[in-house]
Amino acid sequence: MVSSTIQGLHGDDVDFESTWTTLASSFKEIHTKNASKLSYEELYRHAYRIVLKKKESQTVAASIQGLVTGSLLSGAHGSAAVTTANERREAGWRFLKGLKEAWQDHQLCMSMLADVLMYMDRVYCTDHRRPSIFVTAMNLFRDCILLSKSSSEADSLTILAILNGIILDQIQMERDGDIIDKHLIKSCVYMLEGLYEADQEVEDQRLYVTSFEADFLNASREFYRKEGEFLLRESDAGAYCRHAQRRITEEQDRCRSTLSESTTPKIEQVVEDELVRNKLRELIEMESGVRHMIDNDRSADLRLMYILNSKVDPLKKEFTSATQRRIKEMGAEINAAAIAASQAQPAPPADADGDKPKAPGDRALSQQTVAALKWVEDVLNLKDKYDSFWKVSFDSDQGMQKAISSSFTDFINSATFTRSSEYISLFIDENMKKGIKGKTETEVDQVLEKAIILLQYVQDKDMFERYYKKHLCRRLLMNKSLSNDVEKQMISRMKVEQGNNFTLKLEAMFKDMTISEELTTGFKGHVAKLGDADAGRAELAINVLTSMTWPLETMGSSGDNEESRKMRCIFPPAIERIKKSFEKYYSDKHSGRQLTWLANMGSADLRATFPKVQTKEGIKERKHELNVSTYAMVILLLFNDIPASQSITFEEIQAKTNIPTSDLVRNLQSLAVAPKTRILIKEPMSKDVKPTDRFSFNEGFSGKFHKIKVGVVTAGNKVETDKERQSTEEKNNESRGFCIDAAVVRIMKQRKELTHQQLVTETLSQLATQFKPDINMIKKKIESLIEREYLERIDEAKVPSYRYLA
Amino acid sequence: MAQQQTDYVTLVSSDGFEFKLQRSAATISGAIKRMLDPISNFTEAQTNTCTFENIKYDSLHPLSHHAAFMESSVDSPRSGVVLEKVCEYLYYNEKHKNNKDVPDMDIPPELCLELLMAADFLDGEFAVGYLGFGC
Repeated sequence: MVSSTIQGLHGDDVDFESTWTTLASSFKEIHTKNASKLSYEELYRHAYRIVLKKKESQTVAASIQGLVTGSLLSGAHGSAAVTTANERREAGWRFLKGLKEAWQDHQLCMSMLADVLMYMDRVYCTDHRRPSIFVTAMNLFRDCILLSKSSSEADSLTILAILNGIILDQIQMERDGDIIDKHLIKSCVYMLEGLYEADQEVEDQRLYVTSFEADFLNASREFYRKEGEFLLRESDAGAYCRHAQRRITEEQDRCRSTLSESTTPKIEQVVEDELVRNKLRELIEMESGVRHMIDNDRSADLRLMYILNSKVDPLKKEFTSATQRRIKEMGAEINAAAIAASQAQPAPPADADGDKPKAPGDRALSQQTVAALKWVEDVLNLKDKYDSFWKVSFDSDQGMQKAISSSFTDFINSATFTRSSEYISLFIDENMKKGIKGKTETEVDQVLEKAIILLQYVQDKDMFERYYKKHLCRRLLMNKSLSNDVEKQMISRMKVEQGNNFTLKLEAMFKDMTISEELTTGFKGHVAKLGDADAGRAELAINVLTSMTWPLETMGSSGDNEESRKMRCIFPPAIERIKKSFEKYYSDKHSGRQLTWLANMGSADLRATFPKVQTKEGIKERKHELNVSTYAMVILLLFNDIPASQSITFEEIQAKTNIPTSDLVRNLQSLAVAPKTRILIKEPMSKDVKPTDRFSFNEGFSGKFHKIKVGVVTAGNKVETDKERQSTEEKNNESRGFCIDAAVVRIMKQRKELTHQQLVTETLSQLATQFKPDINMIKKKIESLIEREYLERIDEAKVPSYRYLA
Repeated sequence: MAQQQTDYVTLVSSDGFEFKLQRSAATISGAIKRMLDPISNFTEAQTNTCTFENIKYDSLHPLSHHAAFMESSVDSPRSGVVLEKVCEYLYYNEKHKNNKDVPDMDIPPELCLELLMAADFLDGEFAVGYLGFGC
């Protein structure tokens, strides 16, 4: 190397002592800010020379340290005078300012010094792995100023501690609303950030991190804990949320303007911990918490709460569960209200849970229907409410939507309230019959949409299907539906939502209706062709229904279906003729099909002539068109054959017509008891129809209108009575049994061998779209499949397993 | 106070040659940059003039006292020449600083050592450059 060879040659060329003296005196000049008198080039040249003489460098470094220390210590006294002052704002400010100035002076001088000694930095310090002059000088500042005691007493604080205390004090003042010199504090923070704990410059060993930040975070934690507790006591949840939100923004701003950006996440964490995470539960359960917000539509507050919770917990568990709890509570209230409304009936409470007597039971039934509709409306309102919250307050969050949906599912399917499927179907029924009258297409759409939404929540889809079929059946057969289009729209919506299987039977019902229309017109043409024009001949409109798809049993009154099936109604000869001819017509078209006449579902138009009576307009014969049920027609036609004065007993009527007792009672009730349609006179006159009662034709009958509809009691769609419900449920369970059977066999056929547990799980998942099967029921079904030798137990298996027997 | 910052600064060699060149080019050298730093405010910064006592043939170069060396360069005004070459480099660097495939600068072999010393003294990235192709 060049330098090693020249060293010897130059040994005495540079006089170290004199050169150093020059340098030292210049440094003092620099310290007193007299640099302008000095020539950089000269100093640099001196330093250069010294460095070239290697062995002296170390001495220089040491000397410089001594020199700087000396000057720092003398400088420190200037600021020390300030530090003894108390902690008041003004004093704090002066201290910070003094310190900042001292720091800036020091920095400037040291950078100049480092400039002058640049050559030493480059050659000596780097080669010997020593901290550069500037770093050394900065460390000296740390040791001599910051870590020195503010006064001579042993227990006094270091300047650094005082500095921390003052900054914290200032920040506290700002939190309390005072205005502080952010810029000044920022400079001091810069200083702390520029200094390191040890001589090595490791990033996370900065004094700011090691000394100030921890203090700051601790103090903040303490402050926010107290503030949180205070606020929880003093203000409501909405205000609390707003406050917490503001504090978080404030701290972010503070880090940007006063402290260091690197602290932002940490202090946010502290505030969130103290103001949100630790208080969240209390906050949500406060009197003015989530519940209050939801009840009072405080969507803005809810939103805040939501945001706060999502800050501390991306899953928002607490908040979600509080919301869910509230949904369930409100749902339970709605359920309870529906039950209460349906039971608040005039009948004495003893009758309420038993089989109700018919007359008050009917009123109770309609009351129940109202309750059912109200329930649906309430649920829909609730749903609307949460939907709007979800959009406005919950950022349309997926998780929240799921949570809300599941809570709805929970309360709609709750064990204490089993009528939801029936109620929803009833709601659709009501709308189909009355609700959509005079509504625009979009409004109708909305109603359908709502119904579909509710349907999504129902777990026992098969139950719903059953009710829907029943209601639809009534609508179709009695022509109650307002618009076929809307019906079909509904079906297609269900198809989209629930799949083909679900609507298969419903569609088949529509198809039957269309075919029946064709049959009716076809039969009319057929009769016309036969040519025997008989004026007195009755016309026949027929609905041929496939017995598998139509819930025919639900059409009649409950309980006595067996009876009605066995007892064929005896039709009057005129009607019997038409019946026969249609049967012939039908079997010509479709051979091998058997027709069963369901008189209990039909209706008939009769033209009745009443004898002349004296009226205001004179003597007049009165004609009425009576729309009655088929049974009523059969009964009325009996009176055609006897003189008006003669009467027939109940038993006689039954013997002649063979109408099932309960149907007969109901029809006679509407013909002889209902005040507006009293075509028959009953003796003795009472509300109930007894087997001993006698009936005769009411010649004095008068009606306001030409057309009179004789309603049969319980013709409309109403909530089922408890007895009806039982039978519906039984039927449902029966069909569920078949579904389970089918599913189990399907699975086993595919898998051949399976453990019990797996089989149950698979069955559950297969049937989930239709209903939620009872585990016990699955077990029973498996047992019966084993009995029927579809499956066998595998004896050698460790866990209970089954094998499929082909 | 310091004079206004001028676009041009003056570099003076020990034997009195003055070179005026753009500040931006001159401050490539760490030493010159610090010399002219208005914050430190040394004399040089006030006058915008840097006098290089060092860049003198005999004092700068330790080898100049070597007998053989002395003989070969006894009568040439070396200091000015060296500084001129330095200035030439400063401009050369300024001109090509963003380019690739830069043509080599012409360096007379007899100046190599002096330039190397000057480069070390002035502290610039160019020291490396010289070492690369000059020696």
